[in-house]
Amino acid sequence: MTFNDLKLRVRALLRPTRVEQELDEELAFHIEREARKLIDEGMTPAAARRRAQSRFGSTALAADRCRDERGTALIDDALRDVQYALRTFARAPLAALTIVVTVAIGLGAVAVLFTVLNPLIFRVDRVPDIGEMYSVDRTRTADGGPSPMTRSMFEAMRADTHVFTDAYASVPDIEFRVDGRTMAATLVSGNFFQVLRVSPAIGRPLMPVDDAHAGGNAVIVLSDRGWERHFHRDPNVLGRDVLVNGAPFRIVGVTAAGFRGLEEGGPDVWAPLSQLGQFRPADRGREDSVGVDVVGRLAPGVSKDTARVQLVAWDSNRSTDTVDRRSTTLDLLPRRGTVDQPLETIALFAPLFVAFGLILLIGCANVANLLLARGVARQREIGIRLSLGASRRRIVRQLMTESVLLALTAAAGGYLISRVALEGAVNWALRIVPVDLGNVNLGVPAADWRVAVFLVVAAVVATGFFALMPALHATAIDPVRSLRGELVKDARPGRARNALIGVQVFASALLLICAAIFLRSAMASARFEPGLRTADTVLIDINSEPKRAAMIQAVASDATVTAYAAVRPQLLAPLRVALADAGAGKTTVVFKSVSGSYFEVLGVPIVRGRTFRPWERDQYPVAIVSESVARALWPGRSGVGETFRLEPDSAVRRPGGFLTVNPGAAADEGVVQARMVTVIGVARDVPGFRVTGIKEAGVFLPTGLDVAKTSIVARVQGDPNLARQTLLEHLTTVDPNTGKIVTLRTIARLETFFLQVAFMVSLILGALALLLTVSGLFSVLSYLVEQRTREIGVRMALGASARRVTQLMLAQTTRPVMAGLIAGAGLAAALATVVLATPAGALISQIVRLTDPVPYLASLGVIVAACLSAAWIPAARAAKVDPMRTLRQE
Amino acid sequence: MTRTPDLLPGTLDLLILRTLQKGTLHGWAISERIQQISEDVLQINQGSLYPALHRLEHQGWIEAEWKVSELGRRARYYRLTASGRRQLAIEAREWDRMTTAIGRVMKLA
Repeated sequence: MTFNDLKLRVRALLRPTRVEQELDEELAFHIEREARKLIDEGMTPAAARRRAQSRFGSTALAADRCRDERGTALIDDALRDVQYALRTFARAPLAALTIVVTVAIGLGAVAVLFTVLNPLIFRVDRVPDIGEMYSVDRTRTADGGPSPMTRSMFEAMRADTHVFTDAYASVPDIEFRVDGRTMAATLVSGNFFQVLRVSPAIGRPLMPVDDAHAGGNAVIVLSDRGWERHFHRDPNVLGRDVLVNGAPFRIVGVTAAGFRGLEEGGPDVWAPLSQLGQFRPADRGREDSVGVDVVGRLAPGVSKDTARVQLVAWDSNRSTDTVDRRSTTLDLLPRRGTVDQPLETIALFAPLFVAFGLILLIGCANVANLLLARGVARQREIGIRLSLGASRRRIVRQLMTESVLLALTAAAGGYLISRVALEGAVNWALRIVPVDLGNVNLGVPAADWRVAVFLVVAAVVATGFFALMPALHATAIDPVRSLRGELVKDARPGRARNALIGVQVFASALLLICAAIFLRSAMASARFEPGLRTADTVLIDINSEPKRAAMIQAVASDATVTAYAAVRPQLLAPLRVALADAGAGKTTVVFKSVSGSYFEVLGVPIVRGRTFRPWERDQYPVAIVSESVARALWPGRSGVGETFRLEPDSAVRRPGGFLTVNPGAAADEGVVQARMVTVIGVARDVPGFRVTGIKEAGVFLPTGLDVAKTSIVARVQGDPNLARQTLLEHLTTVDPNTGKIVTLRTIARLETFFLQVAFMVSLILGALALLLTVSGLFSVLSYLVEQRTREIGVRMALGASARRVTQLMLAQTTRPVMAGLIAGAGLAAALATVVLATPAGALISQIVRLTDPVPYLASLGVIVAACLSAAWIPAARAAKVDPMRTLRQE
Repeated sequence: MTRTPDLLPGTLDLLILRTLQKGTLHGWAISERIQQISEDVLQINQGSLYPALHRLEHQGWIEAEWKVSELGRRARYYRLTASGRRQLAIEAREWDRMTTAIGRVMKLA
């Protein structure tokens, strides 16, 4: 195609009426000129005009061929196809509506998932030259745990190395309460906005002077989200003060929408890092040991690898006076405001995409079946068009145009469905998520152009799935016979139809088995006993050591509290590991420090010996061990009265669950000295919480509430949620920063909660799948009965009984349904085997009962019953065929 | 259906280009000219003429322009472009080669 050609084509496309007019004028001129010549030769004007017109032939045909030369035919054809399609829809609106709704449900399902995934993976933050941004990821070589830089290390890195144009440090996820609502802050070094090259939409950014070590400014910059959530986009927000733990912070700026500070969710406010002590009083005085995230803008001409090598060299050459001398590795990770490991996230979402995609697949199979049926019904129409000279390719294109139009309409419907579904899901989740887990940062993700593109692409792909095969089937006919009204055998797509039914049943079986497994697991988990008293126990953190005495006083005097005890670390925090040596070698144990009433408050019985006395405090050489530790150290003996040597280890045992509660809780940093201890009691082994992986310690050491860093476990009377609320109000008067009070019941219910969510999701998907399958089965069978009325009439006239006829029709569906069931159950079982073989398999199988036969049998039973009832009505109708009437119609 | 059986395929383009070598003409004048010069042997089918003109225009060998005609109303005039001139040279050479070859066969075979 030459440029000239392109220019003319574009002109014809952009100004079609002008081009058409010119073409008409040119042809009209020709005829007029010819007529003038004939008049000059002596003809009358009327005769000359007639003669000229007849010599020219059909102007319409000539114009048409000119248009073909012009190359806009493709688009003209497409427009004509669209017009034709619209007429077809108007003739059969119910069929069109069925197709649109079915496909829209499927597209809506995948759109929901994509909308959730979109901000995590694709929605890059609005920062200039974001490709230059890298975070410095520092990990311990030994166990891969994080070993973040401190602020002074960060300053040293900025001064010593030149791999970054500049870098900033940040401490994200700091929560504080404002007017009873939780705000999320990220504290950043003063150069944050300069490094990112972002300026606020209104007001000014944070500046290095705000973050000065002494005498910085108590100022904050709001994010668009924070502005919206807490100030309802008040334009006069600048200059207002926000109280952070009692100190006023002035709002100096608001950033534009779409800027999240290179975080996935983004905070409500940014504040200077030097204000850390005010935002997190627990860190006051130890600001320099707090780990910071370091993110830098790579200097021009420095590659990521060079930068990494230089940083590693700098890190290992640092002077030896640093606190942290353990060996570390250092890496640079691109920082875009999306998840660090997009592939991992996609892998995590893959099973969900399969599950949601199955709905789309079933919907497509339904529509394909419908189109196959309609293809047979439209054989006459297609036969006529074929015999009029339309090519098969042309008709397939026409049929595909119809389907694409329907699919695009369905995409719009799918968008609406996904918004409604997400809105509903978020509302539901917000209602049932336990309040004491703190600020649940849950909102309906916005749909952007990526969601639109995804939907359009998905619609086109879906069209390929549901429309191509029926279109090819419908056009594979012999025009002459189809005009005579004969149905051609080839166009009767029995095998394709059976395959589609099989696929649908297969997908429904898979989803319903999942739903049933989750339901059974949720039921089992509701009965599970963690062995700790959960019903009326609350956990209270003491954030501010100066307020400790007042807090304890407040808890002790509160009317709802009936008993309380000290525990360190806080009950949900990771435990420290120690080595226990009873003379026969060292055994690894996890330990915690508790006060004497701990066992009574949590309902853990002391099976032998006694608990701690009030005067037995830290460093007192006594301990209580669990039954299993006692068994391991002194097999066959009671354990009470034995002595062993306890050596602390630097390792921390993190809960091995799927879910981290209390992510802010640090492991106990108080170092226990190595010492000999005497066992005074043996506590019963308890299972602990499964989904969060929180387990009870093996060795308990004595402590008291007046010791720093201990938390409170308390037993309350009355409704624990109500008690929690009164306590929160009471304690807030003592310490305004009292953050969280968690009821243990919430932690115990988390497990059931997550299984319930999984059950609900798979149940909704499974029910949708079954509904689509059953309706598809019903319509296909109804259609078949109608098609075969003649045959059935003949059979009955020849003596077939009504029962035989019903059986014949039912037999049509038996094979595909059975095949689908076997494939679905087989795949589910195979997947379960694969999951059990993975490293996480043991943990998963404790909670999710993958190999329970009941769910398999129950869901297969449901599907068989549903399919039978869907097939029964058309089959029974077949048996009512009156042979005389059908034969007379022949 | 409307194709001229009496014109060798491919020759219409050549004839149009050759006719336009002398100057700009509108569609009717092109067909008239060919008819006159060939002494009514070559009758251009009008149904093919205009598609051919549009095709040549798309290939960039001729250019169209609206001008006032001898009738006093505007008509679409076609003019040979530089690349059209080159194309004409190529096609004319080819044509000569073909006719000579065919002539030889007709005489001597």
